[in-house]
Amino acid sequence: AGFIKSPLSQKRLTQDSVELYCEAIGNPIPEIQWWFEGNDPNETYAQLWDGARQDRVKINATYNLHSTSTISIANLTGDDSGMYECRASNDPDRNHLSKSPKVKWIRSQANVFVIERPEIATQVTESSGKLILSCNMSASQPTITGHKWIHKEKILEQDEGTEAFTSYTIDGKREEHSGVYECVYEGNPQIKGQVNISVAPQVTAYKKSEHGNEGDTGVLTCKNPSFPAVTTWSWYKSGHGLLENASGRYIIKSSGNKTELRILKLDIEQDTGDYFCNGTNSYGTGDATVNLRVRSRLAALWPFLGIVAEVLVLVTIIFIYEKRRKPDEVPDDDDGGSAPLKSNATNHKDKNVRQRNAN
Amino acid sequence: PAPAEAGRAPGPPDGGWGWVVLFGAFLSIGFAYAFPKGLAIFFKEIQDFFGTSYSEIAWISSIMLATTYGAGPISSILVNRYGSRPVVMFGGLLCGVGMVSAAFCTSILQLYICVGFITGFGLALNLQPSVIIIGKYFLKRRPLANGLAMAGSPVMLCTLAPLNQFLFENFGWRGSFLILGAILLNCCVAGALFRPIGARTAPVKTPVTEEGKDALKGKITEDGPVENKPEEEGGKDCFEKINQYLDFSLFKHRGFLIYLIGNVLMFLGFFAPIVFLAPYAKHTGIDEYSAAFLLSILAVVDMVARPTTGIIANSRWVRPRIQYFFSFAIAFNGACHLLCPLASSYSGLVVYSSFFGLGFGMVCAMLFETLMDLVGPARFTSAVGLVTIAECCTILLGPPVGGILIDTFGDYKYMFIKCGTVMVLAGTFLFIMNYYNYRMLAKEEKERKTKEEDPRSVRTEDEGKKHWNKDSTQDGPELEPLREKGEGVKKEING
Repeated sequence: AGFIKSPLSQKRLTQDSVELYCEAIGNPIPEIQWWFEGNDPNETYAQLWDGARQDRVKINATYNLHSTSTISIANLTGDDSGMYECRASNDPDRNHLSKSPKVKWIRSQANVFVIERPEIATQVTESSGKLILSCNMSASQPTITGHKWIHKEKILEQDEGTEAFTSYTIDGKREEHSGVYECVYEGNPQIKGQVNISVAPQVTAYKKSEHGNEGDTGVLTCKNPSFPAVTTWSWYKSGHGLLENASGRYIIKSSGNKTELRILKLDIEQDTGDYFCNGTNSYGTGDATVNLRVRSRLAALWPFLGIVAEVLVLVTIIFIYEKRRKPDEVPDDDDGGSAPLKSNATNHKDKNVRQRNAN
Repeated sequence: PAPAEAGRAPGPPDGGWGWVVLFGAFLSIGFAYAFPKGLAIFFKEIQDFFGTSYSEIAWISSIMLATTYGAGPISSILVNRYGSRPVVMFGGLLCGVGMVSAAFCTSILQLYICVGFITGFGLALNLQPSVIIIGKYFLKRRPLANGLAMAGSPVMLCTLAPLNQFLFENFGWRGSFLILGAILLNCCVAGALFRPIGARTAPVKTPVTEEGKDALKGKITEDGPVENKPEEEGGKDCFEKINQYLDFSLFKHRGFLIYLIGNVLMFLGFFAPIVFLAPYAKHTGIDEYSAAFLLSILAVVDMVARPTTGIIANSRWVRPRIQYFFSFAIAFNGACHLLCPLASSYSGLVVYSSFFGLGFGMVCAMLFETLMDLVGPARFTSAVGLVTIAECCTILLGPPVGGILIDTFGDYKYMFIKCGTVMVLAGTFLFIMNYYNYRMLAKEEKERKTKEEDPRSVRTEDEGKKHWNKDSTQDGPELEPLREKGEGVKKEING
């Protein structure tokens, strides 16, 4: 048996997670085990199994053409620091309790360092139309090689400074730039801090005025694009108070940043009017107004009939005018007019003139 | 009708009732081109209502466009048989019926049929006869008339877009379709204005053997409606019957072939830039309203460019060389597209839109005029049908190919380069081939002149008529009306 891939040594912060990967081949396929030796001087190697350390350890192994095994440990503590060993053997007697195996287990080691997570003090200050986000790391124990600011998976700013303090400035107001911002300290390992700009819900309506047809279903929508998400949505109708979900003809579907009020079987008198959507989170509430207009089924019918009548009138006028102008016109002009329009003698001369031109 | 007078109507009036017909054609052409584009406003709502994807909705437009262009030959056959007026009125009725039934549709498939096929077919029946009847009413002022009539498209588009928005907000999409159906019925009014006019020459029957026929027989077959004279050829076979309605002999016509190849090539790159102009503007960071404004600039410049081009094309200096002007317009368009990627700022795009609008208007105004110029008004009916069905494929291909280029490279400039190159190629091809065509026409003209001046028996009026007919059914009759009247009279007296 032999190793194709050995686990790599890594540095991690407390509360982080770590993954070690090991791959071996042999005939027959070797078995892979994980063993751990702590940093204490009197500690010896102990085997790790799937679910060890209060279920923080997970081992995933496949034995197809060759053996692979991945061990992941979540929520690291300082005690998880130490030497991790990947052992492989394909000797049939490898786990025999009394017999000593003919071939020893081959081993590959990796060192895992768990460093105390430094405290990062975050702050958001608002002054003269600008927002300043700042991160300050308490212990500069790890070496810092640069800073990055990230928002919604896009890099906003990065530099190569080595200070524990980094800041980012945004033009605008809190309400417009709410969300989760990350300040990242590059180095080994990478350390991230989180800065939140939280505001009350900035509730807006998708469309200020909505239309629906009588008898159809009307949909009114409000959204909240700001951070954090809305915890409770509610709908009111002017003059009716609070609208309950599944009461009568109302259905309300809500999520953290959107709410939908559906009204079944729209009625012109009852349902036309203003509706208010209200969203609340731990920082406050916000609302918006949506106006609903219900169209009668036959609303479009009158303009339609009007235009059809106009078309008929115009066509009749045109044909009558034409018949009046040329009463002797042969009525079978549907074949594209083989008969000449003017058939009197004067045009005979015209025809001759035209002919000459054409030649 | 007496043989001496049959079919010997006075030539195109070039005025009078012609202007009324022009107005009708303006309306009809405007609806045919602008209506499919104007429908886009309703698509979002319909998409939400039926719960389909955007591409399924976009099929409605594609089916409509494909039917409008693909039904060209059918339209031509019907016009050859029945004349322009009944076809347009029937087309308007069909459009109205299609949209009204679309207002009651309950599935996307029914929408495809009602809006796509039926209305599309109705618009096809609108488009072809309107273009054809301009050729019947105008000769000297025909380029101007064509330019004015084609201006209907941008004008209608500018009217339809806000109108559709207004209708949609007040009546929803079903109500809007109902009202739009009624509005499309106005095409019937336009059609009613298309008073039939006598300059109708019969569809050509086996023109290649024309020289073989004797004068009298030739006269009888070519005067008057062909269907009333079954005895001349004995049993007509199927091919001849089709040829009677749709002139396939056009494929032997040199000018027609040049036009066909050049135009099919051109349409590959013609429409794609318009489709992608707004997305390209948004891609370079311009906001939505300014991007939409670019299209408005395009439409306004287009609106002005078309009649202006008509006037220029009608002038004494350009008309005999109108094919060159057309090729120049196409190449100009292509050059605009090639230069577009250089325009990075908003003002650069505004300049591009204006020039694009200018080029677009120039090409559209002369699109049918040049075809009429090449094949003559008699065979134009069939020619336009054959050309539209050939263009149908490339028109449908253009925007999707452009879309594929954009998706593959992630950059709009390759699409512009492709469109520009295609159009410059088309323009150059047309320029060279038309130069060759003009020279061949001049040569044939000289041959014909020497044959005419050949001393023969006294020329009867009938024989003179035969020559007139032959001229109008052969290549390039358009050089004739531009010669001095005096010259023609002199020849008649001498001959």
